[in-house]
Amino acid sequence: MPPPKAAKGEYIETDTGNKISRRSQIHGTQHIILGGKTVIQAEAVIRGDLFRTTTLPTDANTASAPAAPNPSTPSVAITVGRYSYISKSAILRPPSRLHRGIHSFYPLKIGDHVFVGEGAVVEAASLGNHVHVGKGAAVGSMAIIKDYAYVLDGAVVPPGMVVPSWCIVGGRPARIVGEVGEGYGVEGAEGGMARERYRVVGRP
Amino acid sequence: MSRPFPYTYISCPCADTPVPDPAKKRRSRESPQKSPQKQPPERANPDQDKKLSTKEEQQGEDEDEEQTFDPRSPRSNFSLYPPEQLLYCEECHQIKCPRCITEEIVSWYCPSCLFETPSSMVRSDGNRCGRNCFNCPVCTAPLAVSTIENAAGNGPQQGPWVLSCGYCLWTTLDIGIKFDKPTNIRSQLQKMTDSTPPAALNRSRQASRTFGDLKHPLSSYASIDEQSNARERDGEQAAPKEDLAAPPMGTDARFAALKAFYRTQIAETSNSPNDHLSSEFGFSSPGALNRLMSLYTSSSRLSGLYGGSKKPKSKPPVMREALTASEGLKIAPENNETDMIARLQSPECGWDGMASIDQRGTQSPDARFVDDLLPLPVLLRTKRAKRCKSCKHILVKPESKPQSTRFRIRLIALSYIPLPTLRPLAPSPSSTLPAMAATSDLNSLPPLRPIHVLLTLRNHMFDPVRITLATPPVTPGRVATKVTVLSPQFEIGANSDVWDEALQGASAPVTSDSRSAALRGVPEAGKVWDKGRNWTTVVLEVVPGTLPGSSAEGGDGNPNTEINDEDVLAVAASRQDEDVLEIPVFVHMDWDADAQLDQQNVGKGSKPDDKVTRELAYWMVLGVGRIQPSL
Repeated sequence: MPPPKAAKGEYIETDTGNKISRRSQIHGTQHIILGGKTVIQAEAVIRGDLFRTTTLPTDANTASAPAAPNPSTPSVAITVGRYSYISKSAILRPPSRLHRGIHSFYPLKIGDHVFVGEGAVVEAASLGNHVHVGKGAAVGSMAIIKDYAYVLDGAVVPPGMVVPSWCIVGGRPARIVGEVGEGYGVEGAEGGMARERYRVVGRP
Repeated sequence: MSRPFPYTYISCPCADTPVPDPAKKRRSRESPQKSPQKQPPERANPDQDKKLSTKEEQQGEDEDEEQTFDPRSPRSNFSLYPPEQLLYCEECHQIKCPRCITEEIVSWYCPSCLFETPSSMVRSDGNRCGRNCFNCPVCTAPLAVSTIENAAGNGPQQGPWVLSCGYCLWTTLDIGIKFDKPTNIRSQLQKMTDSTPPAALNRSRQASRTFGDLKHPLSSYASIDEQSNARERDGEQAAPKEDLAAPPMGTDARFAALKAFYRTQIAETSNSPNDHLSSEFGFSSPGALNRLMSLYTSSSRLSGLYGGSKKPKSKPPVMREALTASEGLKIAPENNETDMIARLQSPECGWDGMASIDQRGTQSPDARFVDDLLPLPVLLRTKRAKRCKSCKHILVKPESKPQSTRFRIRLIALSYIPLPTLRPLAPSPSSTLPAMAATSDLNSLPPLRPIHVLLTLRNHMFDPVRITLATPPVTPGRVATKVTVLSPQFEIGANSDVWDEALQGASAPVTSDSRSAALRGVPEAGKVWDKGRNWTTVVLEVVPGTLPGSSAEGGDGNPNTEINDEDVLAVAASRQDEDVLEIPVFVHMDWDADAQLDQQNVGKGSKPDDKVTRELAYWMVLGVGRIQPSL
């Protein structure tokens, strides 16, 4: 099965329609759930290996030595919804937190129709549906980005920030700078291009 | 938010027709009641205005017939909107932009905790979240509540709590504030910073003020080393300087005290008992304003205007000002300025120790140093309903719950007008479509080389639409780009059910677009490029003009721009973004709509089978790209 596909081109297309670049770096695949029709472009890094270990290790250096002590219990590190798009050299990392002196990871949930721009670093606790994360933006640990929010290019969303729906955030640190229009997210318009984006990927 | 090429903007027609100004109407309606002696001139004015405005309108219409839309004119900045920001009024049958709507607040919520604040609480909370949401006073990032003890490692006992910024690592420990509980931090903070909580205005200042010394007005003026070793001593030092009796008040408390003081002053000095200002209205009521105006002005004309009472005022009772600290008086401390300058100069303070203008703007007026900055409760945001300004028809009504993204009513323009999308037609069919490659190309279009642009219009209505496109043959402005729409008249299918198409036969699946486009070959005049269930693509042939002063100019034959280099430079500097290629396109659409509730339809001939032909026309602007300066 793999050899004919390898000849086909850059993208591996899974049964559920995910298009994953062969040049992307995906770690800990068993801890990643892709909703289908997700696009992962080249050089994107997805750290599924940073998941919450059920038996909490005593020291806080799980980040440097990620290991799966009990792979029998599948814990999900990253969930990505349908028609989401991870651009070139973007990084998805599950968020982490120091809780009661123990450093542990939490799952990263990404909704449907999400766009993560080129070189963006996402460490959010959740990205809602139709979220746009601009090029070179950084979303800090445990941030919550609600549906239809728009993170401008180069913005740095501070850790723990909550971005309400329909809001545009930008700057370093990111602040709410405006709101998207009511028509945002309509199929085919701004914020509703996810299907089109998906369709175009991998076409000769 | 500027958009990457290619983009499409739609011009709201309101830019041409002056919006009925509600303020003007109100003024002309109310003024006769208030000042009858001024009636004649006031009444004359609206008539004149109306004449003027109708004249202007006529002129505007006349001009509009002839003139084409210029995306570069300064006025068009205010009428061009991305399609998704526009609304559509079903009563007026018109596109509505953010300028032709009014807004009403549906609910208030905190953007951080997403809790709704009841409107009765909004004012007393000062438009800010009353829970645990704070912004960093240094960098505006949200603050997190965290414990100090647990950071050390162990222990079930929860230590004192602080607010810490995850972005700039500021904590409330920097200003010496710790909290006993992790909840209700705002009231804890208020107790610390104010001697009286401002919510209870008349309560005596016996509230616990464990940390009140911290925000002593003088605390910032003492030298920094004193502050660092013994903060409590600061209060003792400062106390004898100012007022022995009363403890110093925070800003909010002082404001409350002053407000109460002036209220009693007004009550005492008002001579007429049935004066409408006294107690039933607040100090800030217009009645009180009238009275103050008549107090301070001796002119009978003004008093007649504002007060309405004709009787001459006997000597008005004198209001005194606040005299004691309990009334809200604050005496500027003796060595205020010199102490501050000394502190500014001290090596401990330096540039980093001073609060920036931005930081001070949100703080109390006394805050000069970083140490004075207090955590800011998060400002509330609103969910707003939108109404048409001219017919008051409601256009957008979101659900009031902050978490919900749904709308009860949402009349967006995109469900009525066709959604335009623009795409360059790649010269070689092999490199179609990857948007990345195309955009880099669009940022430097070679002049005088024809390119083809695909304009797709997607219909969201359930009726098929006939479209007529028109462009000026040459774009307005100094860069003359030739534009030709190869098939200006076409039809777009109805936005019927997706299943209809599927059942009719999947002979023309929408997804085969790019491949079939590659096979299609050359664009032809008078032929639609591609067509789908509810969309149609046409080709625009664009010959980018040459930029004035560019090397390619000689070939173009623009003799009148032969000027020396200095002028060119000056002009180029003054006209920014002249190289942006924007094409104005006039869209005229008409369709047969069901004549349901609108009997006064827009004056179009009605068809026998209960159908009305409706039409809509507007300008849109296609941002194609940037023209290269030279070949």
